[in-house]
Amino acid sequence: MGRRLPHPQIASFVTIEWKLPRETSEYETVMSHDHHQHDQEFEPVEEFSRRSFLKLAGFSFAGTVIAGCEQSNLEKAIPYLVRPEEITPGVPYWYASTCGGCSAGCGVLVKNRDGRPIKVEGNPSHPVSRGGLCAIGQATIVSLYDSQRLNGPLMRGRASSWDAVDAEVLDRLETIRKSGGSVRFLTGSVTSPTTRALINRFLAQFKDARHVEYDPVSSSAILDAHKLTHGERLLPRFLFERAETVVSFDADFLGTWLSPVEFTKGYRAGRSLAGRGQGFSHHVQIESRLSLTGSNADERVIVSPHELALVLPRLGVLLSLRAGGTSFSPADPLPGQLENRVAGIAERLWKCRGKSLVLCGTNDLRLQVQVNLLNQLLGNYDATIDLQKPSYQCRGNDGELSRLVDQIRSGSVQALFVEGVNPLYDLPDAGALRDAFPEIPLLVSLAERVDETAETAHVVLPQPHALERWHDAEATAGVVSLSQPTVQPLRSARTLAESLSVWLGEKKGAYDLIREEWERSVFRRQKREPSFTAFWNKTLHDGFAAVETRQVTIKSFNFSVISTHASDPPYPETQEAFALVLHPSSTMLDGRHAHNPWLQELADPVTKIVWDNYASLSVTAAAGLDVNEGDVISIQTEQNEVLELPVHIQPGQDDRVVSVGLGYGRRGTDRFTDIGPNWLQSKPTVSPGGLVGVNAAPLLRWQNGMLTYAGRTIVVAKTGRKHPLAATQEYHSLTSPDLLGRGTGEKRAIIQQTSFAAYSEDPTSGGFQKHKLDSLWPDDHQYPGHRWGMVVDLTACTGCSACVVGCQAENNIPVVGKDEVGRNRELQWLRIDRYYDDMNGELFVSHQPMMCQHCGNAPCETVCPVLATVHDSEGLNQQIYNRCVGTRYCANNCPYKVRHFNWFEYPRGDELQRMVLNPDVTVRERGVMEKCSFCVQRMQLAKIEAKNEGRPLRDGDVQPACQQSCPADAITFGDMNNPESRVSRKMSDPRHYRVLEELGVLPSVGYMTLVRDTDGSESTGSFGAKGAAIHG
Amino acid sequence: MGEVFSVLRQPLVLGNKSYADITDDVCAPMERQASLSWWIAFIISVGVLILGAVSIAYQVMTGVGVWGLNNTVGGAFDITNFVFWIGIGHAGTLISAILFLFRQRWRTSVNRSAEAMTIFAVICAGIFPIIHTGRPWFAYWLFPYPNFRGPLWVNFRSPLVWDMFAISTYLTISFLFWYVGMIPDLATIRDRTKSLFRKKLLGFFSFGWDGSNKTWQRYEKLYLLLAGLATPLVVSVHTIVSWDFATSVIPGWHTTIFPPYFVAGAVFSGFAMVLTLMLIVRKVMNLEEYITLHHIEQMCKVIIATGGMVALAYLTEIFVAYYSGNGYERFAFINRALGPYGWTYWVMVTCNILVPQFFWWKKIRRSPGMVFTLSIFINIGMWFERFVIIMTSLTRDYLPGSWAGFTPTIIDLTTLLGSFGLFFTLFLLFARFLPMIAMGEIKGVLRYGRGAGETKPVEVRKEEVHEPTLVG
Repeated sequence: MGRRLPHPQIASFVTIEWKLPRETSEYETVMSHDHHQHDQEFEPVEEFSRRSFLKLAGFSFAGTVIAGCEQSNLEKAIPYLVRPEEITPGVPYWYASTCGGCSAGCGVLVKNRDGRPIKVEGNPSHPVSRGGLCAIGQATIVSLYDSQRLNGPLMRGRASSWDAVDAEVLDRLETIRKSGGSVRFLTGSVTSPTTRALINRFLAQFKDARHVEYDPVSSSAILDAHKLTHGERLLPRFLFERAETVVSFDADFLGTWLSPVEFTKGYRAGRSLAGRGQGFSHHVQIESRLSLTGSNADERVIVSPHELALVLPRLGVLLSLRAGGTSFSPADPLPGQLENRVAGIAERLWKCRGKSLVLCGTNDLRLQVQVNLLNQLLGNYDATIDLQKPSYQCRGNDGELSRLVDQIRSGSVQALFVEGVNPLYDLPDAGALRDAFPEIPLLVSLAERVDETAETAHVVLPQPHALERWHDAEATAGVVSLSQPTVQPLRSARTLAESLSVWLGEKKGAYDLIREEWERSVFRRQKREPSFTAFWNKTLHDGFAAVETRQVTIKSFNFSVISTHASDPPYPETQEAFALVLHPSSTMLDGRHAHNPWLQELADPVTKIVWDNYASLSVTAAAGLDVNEGDVISIQTEQNEVLELPVHIQPGQDDRVVSVGLGYGRRGTDRFTDIGPNWLQSKPTVSPGGLVGVNAAPLLRWQNGMLTYAGRTIVVAKTGRKHPLAATQEYHSLTSPDLLGRGTGEKRAIIQQTSFAAYSEDPTSGGFQKHKLDSLWPDDHQYPGHRWGMVVDLTACTGCSACVVGCQAENNIPVVGKDEVGRNRELQWLRIDRYYDDMNGELFVSHQPMMCQHCGNAPCETVCPVLATVHDSEGLNQQIYNRCVGTRYCANNCPYKVRHFNWFEYPRGDELQRMVLNPDVTVRERGVMEKCSFCVQRMQLAKIEAKNEGRPLRDGDVQPACQQSCPADAITFGDMNNPESRVSRKMSDPRHYRVLEELGVLPSVGYMTLVRDTDGSESTGSFGAKGAAIHG
Repeated sequence: MGEVFSVLRQPLVLGNKSYADITDDVCAPMERQASLSWWIAFIISVGVLILGAVSIAYQVMTGVGVWGLNNTVGGAFDITNFVFWIGIGHAGTLISAILFLFRQRWRTSVNRSAEAMTIFAVICAGIFPIIHTGRPWFAYWLFPYPNFRGPLWVNFRSPLVWDMFAISTYLTISFLFWYVGMIPDLATIRDRTKSLFRKKLLGFFSFGWDGSNKTWQRYEKLYLLLAGLATPLVVSVHTIVSWDFATSVIPGWHTTIFPPYFVAGAVFSGFAMVLTLMLIVRKVMNLEEYITLHHIEQMCKVIIATGGMVALAYLTEIFVAYYSGNGYERFAFINRALGPYGWTYWVMVTCNILVPQFFWWKKIRRSPGMVFTLSIFINIGMWFERFVIIMTSLTRDYLPGSWAGFTPTIIDLTTLLGSFGLFFTLFLLFARFLPMIAMGEIKGVLRYGRGAGETKPVEVRKEEVHEPTLVG
């Protein structure tokens, strides 16, 4: 709970607001009473007194004015005739809701100003996401204001009315029911209890009806493996905070895998340096490409998909031998160094029995069964893996999906309802399906826009955005959460639940449906609240409720499946060709966010590339093929499917692997062709195909009934063409280039790094030389009150980039398009510098968030000729936009290069898109400089609140957007003048240092040494340590 | 005149001219129809100027983004052009002020054009600080003009404000110097012209010059005072321009050697530009007898001297970068020479260090064709010097994560071209409408290096009889 949480009355007010006619609450009584009074007042009067004449004249004038307003629905959004309690124009208010960015269902607080939501932040009291929210979640706000979302239903591609389409659907369904035809629901994982119950009720009417769920980024093998080993098809919940050793096989759990925010929170909790001597987990990442998770690992083993399929069983053999059991598979050792490394991992895992976690992101049943075996041998079930409170976020079943695909192709499906997925885009055999789909007698697509699937549908029913609908979710067993509309719906749309209710003949709204379902099922699962209304109001206020879970009956581990599944054919050996690895893109996931400009322009945390997908090749592989960054290659499968993609050269990737991100090349992304400024030499943002990126899903394949992402054999050829990629970072190493030859490149003292072992002995280990800095003007700036400062803990930061989007949303930062990013003109105030570091042949990656350092002796301030950037009494380096002439001298003189210039008048989308702008932050004109302000507007708000409450500002009252959004709690902000503040305490930590301290600019932003659990020998010495090469 | 004649002194004006010949020769271009070659040159210059003007108009309307700049490289062509043109201007002041004070009398045949060149170059330079701002319509905020914005004024700590003072002072003094020096010549033209309009106009602009002894005396006093005022400017302007860089924190900019280095470079480039222009002018305007090979040689010698200083500065920078032990600085210089833009550094070194060495040979110094070619190279080299300092230092400074490159756009190139268009347009207009050689002054050196009998006797001509005020 916090002061920002809405009061229950607000929540119930909202209730009335969106469902006025049938809701009863105190508030409504007041409202209707009010209306009643007004009615009485305006009864026809016999005699016109002067008073009533003026009254009526005034009213009719006001009425005329209101009627004259174009957007008459705004009048309904905030009925100021009777000012709602607790809503003051210009003062933000918050709704608790659930994130709709993916199926993980993180808790969010939606910030509203004057009737429109403007920012999404993590809900600190949510038990799963614990205040964190990923970049995708934060960016969902901008897709709410997407003018290309469907408005009203379509029938055969033409606009229609809800009544007409309902009549059509019901008519067709009646025929099918009579003939006993098959009805299929094809959806993504349905986490909503209400929707699930309605689908079941709806399908119960038909003789041959099924609900098939699938996840475009499938985790089906994990569920199926648990069905085999534990007798229950479920996705367990992984408790990273309890794990002392995490071994992840290709699972990008900090980036895109399942529930990254939850996992980041847990992972960080398990790697805390707060109380020294506490456990610091060891993280081994075994993967073929460099994922965000791999970039944070203490130890990385680079393997091809083929090797991965050998390593996992080998680990099983080694551990089962230790456990005293017999070996399940042939005990051949692995070739070369790999065996030693696997033995070392086995050793470490065995030491951490019951406190370790083995994960696998490969959608392969045989491997997942092996993973279950490992976790069973290590005693991790019920310790670090929770089967009793599993996750419901991925329920997709590839087996059922493949059967459905076969049925569709054979023409035996009579009616197909598609919701939340886009099979004609994200399934491998979309081409064949595209021919089969029009043959289905009734094809209904429920989608936000006309996507690849909706294009072929008879009826397209628009889906509302997650921020404008009533919805519920139980993504994690025992945590039920509500979504409430935060704005008057911007589009004529209907949720799946509402449509089903109409087709069931009930015609109820989503709000009623959810309440009914909750009263029936959810309410009974808790004991704390005696009345349903109280329970409902509390849940609506909190955004979630903790309830009891269904008892899961887990059978004892079935070891027999191991041997039966070990005989599956291994991956084909790749001798001449490459192995293809398809992975969800860090921002697009499976492509569902392709229409989100913020996410398109958010740099991939590892490659730093925007607005494109690409084929990543290792340095060796690229040299072997004689290709450079941006050269287009063609990828050909054994079935002669060909895909052409630009090359990205990726260190830390297996030499026989080509990795490609999914989720690009979505229909309709040609809308971004001209995004950004248009001028003489501007280039389009899209790929040669006219879309943003290329769809790689056709290269997926079915293998053993599973959607398989990794390991397909491909042949790569040069095309000779070029497609330049735009990245936010051009130079990637901490070591300056070796221009004089013979290894004379110098490692820059920018990131302090050390090993956990060295840190435990000496907390200052890895520290740079401290400089004695004398000042000619020691009292140049006085800070009588607050002095704001920030500390970024590099050990905690994963590089996930949630802060970048948080900052973009808070500070009205426009999207500039691919060409401008390629010209190094991105405007995001916060960038994350990602450095590759080669140590003893191993690649280490560090992420360093870099924003304005608010220097005490700021080089930018002295050089501005017009005093447009000045120092304030609280240590802020302020940028005064309307005074700025735009000489850019400040940016040139900034050692951190964190200032951003408005090179053009940047288009900020259409009128609807502009509703996302934060009214507290100036929209900058072209020709002015801008930069991080430490979210001065949030500071002011906190000060006003404190003043209103008659108390001094408390530590933690002021949270810049980046700190608020960080799922890893890597950013601490506060008053450096207060010795008790968290930021002051962090600043006195031995790990604390300042970047480029030797310049004497006195930055207010500090960093904390990056500690990894690497071997002690690799720590202090080789990391830019004391007496580093570069000092000022 | 009271000169000591010596066989060691070479005459400064060749062709055994009389005073009247000088007046005729210098006034001739103003009194006849423009030649075809002038028209061709003028049309080309104006064409290029229009191209530049259109580019600037497009840039002001669209945004600074039409240049190739980015968040890391916030200034490249714009600042380079600015410093380049300011540097060009330095030869004029040096010739007119310092050489005047040092009694270097050979300056008289080139000083007028060099001063004109200075003013035009400063005008070209002055455009860039205005148009390089993001909101040029507010560029006047850089001036400390009285306003009603309370305490909001200019930031006197900013080198850009110092720049504004330095440049405006420089422009003012240079213009005064040029104009004052031209008053006697304007009077001469006034007296020769037959058009009533021109007579009135020039009468106004020559301030009623009567050529009396007293007038001359006052004039020479003023000229001397102005020379004294202008002399510190030769040093100060480019010193202040160099502070734009030297006071910053960027490795490659933050260098204490910059003031002398920039001044030497400015004089170096200024003389190269004077040579380029003079070699064309003496050919096209038939002034070979006034701007003699001797003059060219003298200027070549100045170039050797200042070129040597520039070379010394380059080496000193590299030594200090190595000797300071500052890794960032060391890298900045290694990167300058061997980084992705290393070629620009080697263009600079070739043009500014190697090319001037050719001037050690007298044969080359006395060959107008060779000197012209080499002066062009020095002009190019000096443009690249500024480009190298500004651009390569910015591309790779402290944090490797922020490093970026720079590629000029079409508008960058056309704007640079346009500034040349403006420069040549102004210069051609000057050559057409104003006396290119200081008649009054050169007559004073006519007898320089000659015996008394070697000069033609002053011929009395009809007009001169009727015009007793004509300076003799």
